[in-house]
Amino acid sequence: MMMWVFGLMLISGSVLFLADGRGAELMSCLLTGADSAVTLSLTLAGSYILWMGLLNIAKEAGLVDGLARLLKKPLSLLMPSAGEAIAPAALNLAANFFGLGNAATPFGIETMKKLNTDKSGRATDDMCMFIALNSSAVELLPTTVIAIRTACGSAAPQDIILPTFVSSLVAAVVAVAACKLLAKL
Amino acid sequence: MTDYILPILIVLLVAYALIRRVNVYSAFVEGAKDALPMLIEVLPYLAAMLTAIAVFRESGALGYVTKAISPALNAVGIQAELAPLIALRPFSGSASLALLQDTLLTYGADTDVGRTASVLVGSTETIFYTLAVYFGAVGITKTRHALPAALISGAAGVLSAVILCKIM
Repeated sequence: MMMWVFGLMLISGSVLFLADGRGAELMSCLLTGADSAVTLSLTLAGSYILWMGLLNIAKEAGLVDGLARLLKKPLSLLMPSAGEAIAPAALNLAANFFGLGNAATPFGIETMKKLNTDKSGRATDDMCMFIALNSSAVELLPTTVIAIRTACGSAAPQDIILPTFVSSLVAAVVAVAACKLLAKL
Repeated sequence: MTDYILPILIVLLVAYALIRRVNVYSAFVEGAKDALPMLIEVLPYLAAMLTAIAVFRESGALGYVTKAISPALNAVGIQAELAPLIALRPFSGSASLALLQDTLLTYGADTDVGRTASVLVGSTETIFYTLAVYFGAVGITKTRHALPAALISGAAGVLSAVILCKIM
């Protein structure tokens, strides 16, 4: 799937560049893309280190196990063979819910690692479910959007909180349903 | 309010761990050690995805997609002004925030278009980025139904944003 997405995006974009006679620009555009991955990784490095460190403190204090016990039942409905991934998955969803995107990503990666038990290079049902859940942004307060609305002179920047919350819930429910259905195909 | 939740949680966490006689210093360091290999593993996947996205966007291909989907969006009652945002949203978080700002300034933050654009951005995610990072971290290339499910969920998010903004 990703091989087609990647290939088609790259080819269609490159052909358009070349058709416009912008070959040199295409090269610099390709490099900018790769460069931005490096810059992004460096920006993320600090927050990964911080959150992985704090997560390990929580682990050694027994809090992660406690959280896992608490959420085992509800989360196993969605991800039946999650096992050790329950705790980081719960932390990831909680961080997303409270709008802490930077904290959510390391927990999400930890979840994927724990889910990756057979190391076959093939996504499991649970992995797909976890990713689908992450693609519907259920968030308590969409703070970034509210800030942008305020900056753009909105008279009621908070007006969108309820519709945003309901809409993201709809997206999450559809994500779960789509995953369960597609997994059977 | 949200500015305080996190720091307070961190203080409570470290205090609780100390009470339970956890060596918080070595625990932090041990955990942090896993962060760098994680980043290095994700980097190639991120680079592949961001390169493809950059070419797709800068070449104007994304613009054609936007034009192509506008009539279809109109047919289901989605304002054509939202087409660029809908097309861009799954690819780039920072670019869609910039586009949201542009949309709000052009059409007004409290108009139908402005409100729907805000709800749409708030209730959907950068699907391709999420997929690249999470599957990249565990070296998975056969992503099975993750992408279709995420895209269907994203479409549902867009549709419900449009409908909810009309009735709420």
